[in-house]
Amino acid sequence: MIIELDNVELHFKNKRILGGIYLKAETGKVTAILGRNGCGKSSLLNIAFGNLKPKYKLIRIDHKPILKPLYKTGYTKYLPQYNFVPNGITLSFLFKMYDLNWDTFVENFEGFSMYKTSKFRELSGGERRLIETYATLKTKSEIVILDEPFSHLAPLHIDAIKKIISEEKKHKAIIISDHMYRHIIDSADTLYLLQNGTTKKIDELKELEAYKYLSEGSLD
Amino acid sequence: MNRISVLFHFYKPFIVSSMLVNVIVGVINPNIAATLFTKLGLVIFAWYFMTQTTHKNKLTFYKNLSISPLMLFSFVFIIDSILTIGSISLLKAFN
Repeated sequence: MIIELDNVELHFKNKRILGGIYLKAETGKVTAILGRNGCGKSSLLNIAFGNLKPKYKLIRIDHKPILKPLYKTGYTKYLPQYNFVPNGITLSFLFKMYDLNWDTFVENFEGFSMYKTSKFRELSGGERRLIETYATLKTKSEIVILDEPFSHLAPLHIDAIKKIISEEKKHKAIIISDHMYRHIIDSADTLYLLQNGTTKKIDELKELEAYKYLSEGSLD
Repeated sequence: MNRISVLFHFYKPFIVSSMLVNVIVGVINPNIAATLFTKLGLVIFAWYFMTQTTHKNKLTFYKNLSISPLMLFSFVFIIDSILTIGSISLLKAFN
């Protein structure tokens, strides 16, 4: 599956946030978006999922335009920056609803075995984030959109999530954005830099320094 | 099946307040049409409140299951209408 975001234009009041956007993601690849704070990365991901309505947008799947919000197609799962699982939901209910296997999860994350019947509100911020990221990645879908999946996670859990990303990309198109650029560079097959409201495809990592996203020598 | 369970889970917090409204309306003036009209107004208010405040973040949980806000609140109204008609008819029978 190939998903393309094209001709996205977003304004907040009179300020242009996005314009001249092109982004292509495909099954078997992790497509990453880097950019400074406030450059519109999350807005772009929200537009792709269907949470935010821009002035213009064109989304194509396998070269065919998709007119309804992507979430209605059933192809897509989205991890937003914020906690999206309602507080009163138990982990077992979440796993049942998202068709996930609890035992497989606990094999990878042993520390969670006692939480099966716990409600989401009883977990710490990092624990919630890990479960939400895991659920979004592992649930059956064609496209996965991850907004800051590494935030609030312990280093060991970041490694585990990177491993899951590399497994899941075999049969999914994954779009990812995070400020932890080293983890993003490790995981991504295609990189875009979002700057001045437009996307620039990055072919050489040194371009990130040239575009002043990273300071000189950061990649050495 | 999962989607139906999720929809009922979403409706759960509304049950108590809805039943309270049914009892009050049933005692004062047990009119089904008026009660359903009031309930429709309350559901529209809940929809507006949820989509215009930070509560809208929680809608992503349902959207990930391909459930739109329109589907969620329509389900709430339909299920609530069935319960309302049942409970007001029962109250009428006792009056």
